[in-house]
Amino acid sequence: MKRPGTLILALLIAVQFGAVLTLIRSREHILNAGDAFRFKTRPIDPADPFQGRYVSLGFEDDYIPVPNIQATGLRYREPIYARIESDAEGFARFTAWSRERPKTGAYLKTRYLGERGHWDADGRRSASLGLHVDMPFNRFYMEEAKAPRAEAAVREATRSTNCWAVVRILNGKAVVEDVVAKGISLRDLSAQK
Amino acid sequence: MRTVPDRHRVWLMKELPLLENEGLLSPETSGRLRAYYETDTRSGTHWAIIACAILGSLLIGAGIILLFAHNWEALSRPARALLSLCPLALGAGLSLTALQNGRGTAWRESAGLFHALAVGASIALIGQTYHLPSDVPAFLLSWALLIAPLMFVLRSTGTSLIYLALLCGWCFAAQRTSGQAAAFWLLILPPAARFAHLARTDRYALHTALSFAGLLAALCLCTGLAFERTVPGLWIVAYSALLSGAGLLGLWLYGDREGWNNLPKTFGTLGTVILAYLFTWSDMWQGIGWDHMRDDWQYRAWGIWLDSGITLALLTGWLLAVRKAFRRESIETLTLAVFPVIATLCFATGSMADRAHGLNALVFNAFMLFLGVMHMVLGCRRNRLRQLNLGMATASLLLVTRFFDTDFAYWIRGLVFIALGTVFLTVNLFMARRKRQKGVAA
Repeated sequence: MKRPGTLILALLIAVQFGAVLTLIRSREHILNAGDAFRFKTRPIDPADPFQGRYVSLGFEDDYIPVPNIQATGLRYREPIYARIESDAEGFARFTAWSRERPKTGAYLKTRYLGERGHWDADGRRSASLGLHVDMPFNRFYMEEAKAPRAEAAVREATRSTNCWAVVRILNGKAVVEDVVAKGISLRDLSAQK
Repeated sequence: MRTVPDRHRVWLMKELPLLENEGLLSPETSGRLRAYYETDTRSGTHWAIIACAILGSLLIGAGIILLFAHNWEALSRPARALLSLCPLALGAGLSLTALQNGRGTAWRESAGLFHALAVGASIALIGQTYHLPSDVPAFLLSWALLIAPLMFVLRSTGTSLIYLALLCGWCFAAQRTSGQAAAFWLLILPPAARFAHLARTDRYALHTALSFAGLLAALCLCTGLAFERTVPGLWIVAYSALLSGAGLLGLWLYGDREGWNNLPKTFGTLGTVILAYLFTWSDMWQGIGWDHMRDDWQYRAWGIWLDSGITLALLTGWLLAVRKAFRRESIETLTLAVFPVIATLCFATGSMADRAHGLNALVFNAFMLFLGVMHMVLGCRRNRLRQLNLGMATASLLLVTRFFDTDFAYWIRGLVFIALGTVFLTVNLFMARRKRQKGVAA
């Protein structure tokens, strides 16, 4: 009776290790072979009971410019592919979308989250910016003491300079490599405080 | 081989020579009894040892999660990735040791718990190392799926309870993030199968009761969560079938045992009282049925099939439980069995006639009063203080609630409250005295 039990347990352990190692391998592959993009961000600092302290990344350009959203026929949280290009300042922007995986160029696999609006102060009314998309890289984990300091440092930095996240993207998947403010990595910035 | 606690065995070994000297047992019978208890039974582990082992592994597992949550930035990314495998390796080692050396319950339970927590810690640490986005449903589901076989391989109840807790968490998170938790009905099958096996082989053991309690709690919580809620009020039928079915299952499996010794019956009885109380409010019966179907973007078109399917499955389960447990002479069984019938009829009338809500509330006011009186009478007859108090609590809850609903003067309300309290105390004192007298007589 013992033998089949041990065999099944060994198999289960192999599956558990396999799952964790696959996760590591896929992220390492993206970090090593993916294209680097800079996304403008404004971080805040919350905590996760399992994973600890992190800096939550809020992005300015989390939309795809589309004039008529109704015509797209997209459903809430429908998976889509968003094309990415860098602008003249070197910051990433979404330029187009498709339901099928693009054959060339950089793209991100994401989900449609409804319409992205903003307040038009001149016209005194809200205007549509385009398709609001889910940003699948919204956390940057830090040492528990450093995360609140990082937030303070970023708040200071974003008054005069830009703050951005360096994200590696490969085959529609993304991994945050670093968050930079005042041209310095967030980790180094929080260590200076 | 049967499990017999050591203290019982020691007591019997001391008693056998005495009984032999008194001439009540022949030397052969005494020898056969001695041989049986020495060779054909084994001593069970004391529950305190198991509890300590479980608590220890829970604390160590939680400590490891917190240690990693600190985020050791001084270490390089590959080093942290490698470190994330350590809890898993430790958990796997413990499980293998527990299984290979054929260790006891305490070992298997603590190894299973530690291993289950280690899997979660490893996934979380990888998430932290690579800054994975917050995807709570995916995290909980992967964790639950990766530990599911442990409950069978290690025969660990603690692991099955962790699995059920993760399943509940996943259901809640998935529904909250506009996902769907319909897969719950497939994922609940492993612990249900484990319980079915335990109920056949070791029905009266503590771990069977714990497994059943966990399963019922998860079912009760997730039935509502996994519902798409396309048809308002369908939950009334589903929940009444679930709770009544649980109570009847308890009566079938454990007979007339009470309280902790018959958890499903207790669960069903208390659940029926709570549901009946909710149904006494007429608001519960307004805007229900197919005429009020929800169809905006939050609800999926197939939701109606899912909800109806779940309700039908629960009604089928309830019917099977009725077939197994039904006894015409037991008023308790009859009341439990008839509860979903009344709820379904009221749901049907509420769906067809918009003005039936008052009548439905009235029906359940009468039903709850009947429940209260029934438990009081049965408690008195059987000399069971717990049941008597349940009956009085049920009737009082109904009377007090309806009292606040109506415009009686404060002094009248005050007098009724005092009267109810006096009845409670007097009956309890009377019953306690009666129980004492019976005990002395025995």
